[in-house]
Amino acid sequence: MSSAISELQQEASHAHIHPPPQGFIAKYVISFDHKVIAVQYFITAGLFFVLAGLLAELLRAQLTQPHNTLLSAQTFDEAYSIHGTAMVWLVIIPVLTGGFGNLAMPLMIGARDVAFPWLNMFSFWLFPPAGILVFLSFLYGAPRAGWTEYPPVSMETTGTALWCAGVFLIGVSSTITGINFMVTIIKMRAPGMTWTRMPLFVWATLVTAFLSAIATANLSAALAGLFNQKVFGVPFYDPAHGGSAVLWQHVFWFYSHPAVYIMILPAFGIISEILPTFVRRPIFGYKAIAYSSVAIGLVSFMVWAHHMFTSGLAQWVQLPFMILTMAVAIPTGIKIFSWVATLWRGKIRLSTPLLFTLGFLACFTFGGVTGVMLASVPADIHEHATYFVVAHLHYVLFGGSVFGIFAGLYYWWPKMTGRLLDERLGKWHFWTMFLAFNATFLPMHWLGLLGMQRRVSYYDSQFHSSDLLSFVAGTNLFVSISAFVLGASMLIFAYNALRSAKAGKVAGPNPWGARTLEWMTSSPPPYYNFAEIPIVLSGPYDYGKPLPYANISQDLATEPVA
Amino acid sequence: MDATLLLKIIAGAGALVVGYFAVKALYEEWPKTALEDQVTKIMMALLTLGCVIVLTVAFGIAGKV
Amino acid sequence: MATHALQVSDAEYQEVRSHRLLGFLFFLISDSILFCSFIFSYLYDRSASPMWPPAGVERPGLYLAAVNSIVLFGSGVTMHLAMEAWRHANRTRFTQYIIATIVLGIGFLSGQAYEYTHLHDTWWGSVFGASFFTLTGMHGFHVFIGVCFLITVLLQARNGVYDQNRYFGLTAATLYWHFVDVIWVALFFLFYVY
Repeated sequence: MSSAISELQQEASHAHIHPPPQGFIAKYVISFDHKVIAVQYFITAGLFFVLAGLLAELLRAQLTQPHNTLLSAQTFDEAYSIHGTAMVWLVIIPVLTGGFGNLAMPLMIGARDVAFPWLNMFSFWLFPPAGILVFLSFLYGAPRAGWTEYPPVSMETTGTALWCAGVFLIGVSSTITGINFMVTIIKMRAPGMTWTRMPLFVWATLVTAFLSAIATANLSAALAGLFNQKVFGVPFYDPAHGGSAVLWQHVFWFYSHPAVYIMILPAFGIISEILPTFVRRPIFGYKAIAYSSVAIGLVSFMVWAHHMFTSGLAQWVQLPFMILTMAVAIPTGIKIFSWVATLWRGKIRLSTPLLFTLGFLACFTFGGVTGVMLASVPADIHEHATYFVVAHLHYVLFGGSVFGIFAGLYYWWPKMTGRLLDERLGKWHFWTMFLAFNATFLPMHWLGLLGMQRRVSYYDSQFHSSDLLSFVAGTNLFVSISAFVLGASMLIFAYNALRSAKAGKVAGPNPWGARTLEWMTSSPPPYYNFAEIPIVLSGPYDYGKPLPYANISQDLATEPVA
Repeated sequence: MDATLLLKIIAGAGALVVGYFAVKALYEEWPKTALEDQVTKIMMALLTLGCVIVLTVAFGIAGKV
Repeated sequence: MATHALQVSDAEYQEVRSHRLLGFLFFLISDSILFCSFIFSYLYDRSASPMWPPAGVERPGLYLAAVNSIVLFGSGVTMHLAMEAWRHANRTRFTQYIIATIVLGIGFLSGQAYEYTHLHDTWWGSVFGASFFTLTGMHGFHVFIGVCFLITVLLQARNGVYDQNRYFGLTAATLYWHFVDVIWVALFFLFYVY
């Protein structure tokens, strides 16, 4: 054992500590430090989250009455298009990859920084201009075809060109981050951290990085085509000149289906970190969870056409896509069962991160079940253009990704800032958010099955019986009020976050008694992360055994159980 | 001599020369094992394939005019 | 960055080099996906079209393209020979071969420019022109970047930025150039042979 350690010691010894940067700009603006870049991502994405959230509230305000005159049909279309675009590309993807990936991944693998710090900085600075371009498109008539921007509708608006440019930039940023993270994880793990000793968040980040590096280039191509058609009239997607509008759907979804997993896999990773910590047991089925992430990543490239069952694909094409899509439920189900089995007979501590984790489990499982329903071709043809799809995607992207994001924020906030968030406020936040979320999106399933069309600003003409219309109108009013409460619940978090800067309890290095490497250094970590590169002797989740690390300074290497 | 025939001859002769060097490079790279050497092997194999394609074009076997 | 390469220890250099090599290869894979996506679009439009190329559109000249391809493939070989010369510490040969590569690259671009000016379709005229000009134009842009890359590393090599064992910039330029070559194999096959 000791000779093994000394060998690893040798490997760890030639990593230098670089002097920290001086001056405000070098420290906080053009920063190369992964922890600062993570915070930059959080703040920028937070601003876009507020803007996109307000757009959603605007949509719900319009839908409080069957024939509301608050927004014109055009403005309504613009609002939901930019809401979707911003939530997907400017909030969830940057927060989960650039934000949490940067914050936790290098610390978890015991590295001083990512492999290419300069690229990391560059990648972040592509993000704010991208968001500004997307929102600027409002000035020129924002695109009105939803976040998917199917031509020919997307060709009708001038803002499409700006939209393409913005999303292209965020795509380039995502590709660069993906390449950077893959090299970091493959090459820079601490000595002794074999593949199966990596924390599960790192596994999730690895698969996500692979997907962003591979799939996003495809989005860039699709966007370049759309941009060229809009600006120069190149007929890629124009049937009048031999192009095909369905082609856009193919290339778009070939990126965007993997993107769905880019938006959820890191959240899976966050959940897998939080559960064992607050249950005080080893995670159930470490390898099952890790390898099922890989399986989900691979299958994600083979299911894109399930978004296109109503686009007139041949039946022999629909069938394999239907079966493969349903097959995604298998690796996902493996994960869900492993998480539930981790809870079984654990010493459960209901702190805020765990509450959000449990909220994630409930909502995401629900969204997964409706996902399997939608994967079935006959059902999809009925449900495709209705609120059922809206409900499903919000259950996975809000109930899944956003609950995962908040779980991660509550969990890593002390590591990021050195101070704890208030538990009581956190519980208020969770319960208002959880209840308002379900009150908002659960009734949408019924609205959808009753035939309420999505992306339509007036719904009075869709229902011919007045009884049905009054039921739908009442339900919509209830949904809208819940949506306002859901928006308001974010204020609790904002207050809690601002409050923690002054009144938050000082956290100490390891407030939750976790065992992964990011907790084995001070909070917030110093510029160089670890005074000495740690050495890893076994896996990270063996609760009840001594810590599996060497080279950690002794006062930090504690596992206090609160 | 007409221009097409000239181009065919240049392409065919060029493909033979380039193909020879590509195969030779592939042969010499074969025992090496570093990552960039592995990539070079793939690249040289594909380059050889490219030369074969050009050769078939020069002999009029493949290619659409 | 490369200038600092001579100031660090061997172990540290090797580590940084392995990161850059892997990152560069991932970049090339990602870049090839960009081409694959357009190639898929081309094949999709083509399979949906009753005749190919569409009525009234002429195919670009086959034999000129064949000669042009050989020019580019030949540059791939000279690039490989340049790298081999560097490894065997033969600086004169290295310079000669890399200049040959640059000349062949510029020759290829000239050939492409000639072809563009003599083609009777525009890139907004039909989906054939759209795919042809997008794909070959994107490839031509890559060749142009590659030529700039080669001129840079040639100047750097002459200024002593690289030494016998530390020459990652050269490796990257070589890999990039081979990549550009190999993409052309696919494009030549798709537009002129298939």
